[in-house]
Amino acid sequence: MVKVYSITTCPWCDKVKKYLKSKGVEYEERNIETNDEFLAECKELSGDEMVPVITADGKNFVLGFDKAKLDEMLGLSA
Amino acid sequence: MSVYDFTAKTNKGEEKSLAEYKGKVLIIVNTASKCGFTPQYKELQELYDKYKDKGLEILGFPCNQFGEQEPGSNDEVQTFCRRNYGVSFQIFEKGDVRGETAHPLFKYLTQEKKFEGFDEGHPIAAKLTEALKAHFPEYLEGDGIKWNFTKFLIDREGNVVKRFEPTTTPADMATDIEKLL
Repeated sequence: MVKVYSITTCPWCDKVKKYLKSKGVEYEERNIETNDEFLAECKELSGDEMVPVITADGKNFVLGFDKAKLDEMLGLSA
Repeated sequence: MSVYDFTAKTNKGEEKSLAEYKGKVLIIVNTASKCGFTPQYKELQELYDKYKDKGLEILGFPCNQFGEQEPGSNDEVQTFCRRNYGVSFQIFEKGDVRGETAHPLFKYLTQEKKFEGFDEGHPIAAKLTEALKAHFPEYLEGDGIKWNFTKFLIDREGNVVKRFEPTTTPADMATDIEKLL
């Protein structure tokens, strides 16, 4: 399952979620402002507290709303 | 009347009395969005790291009355946001800082310390004046907050000592802060 690390007021997180939906990708949202466990995971993965962070395997990740990188990581066709 | 008579809600929704900060040197600042390029956040955090052990506290009040950005910093588009704005000092609930709907604290601060013009020597001064003329000409009138990152320095007794416009970078406040610590 694809995970999207997010915070509550974050236009870029919203864009990522909308984009994934439009591509039919199922994802689980993990809010790092309201859940300390998710915050720790996100920091471990990306080394910072920036969002959105998107990962499929918990190792490779994309930071920010970057369609090209998301397509590549998730194997989506344009 | 002093800053200690005011209360404000933190970003976690808890009501906090500013009287809790009695005896501390304070910077009260209206801040911009947690998304995008905002060097003044970083510089405020640097001041906090440097002086918090000597008694400095920074109180950030997010506000979106100014187009969600730091003046002159929209050249670089970033597509991410930072948790807690990337800072460890106290952030309060988002609200207004100018006009009728302004938080009473900011009404008080702007009455105590009037607008005395931008530092024209700062690289963003011209851009900021231009942006205000184009989008918010009425903001140029009077003593209200002009833009994100207007900073008020408060001494250990609660007196409002100085007002710094967005055209003063936090690092340039160090001398004034040290005098109070």
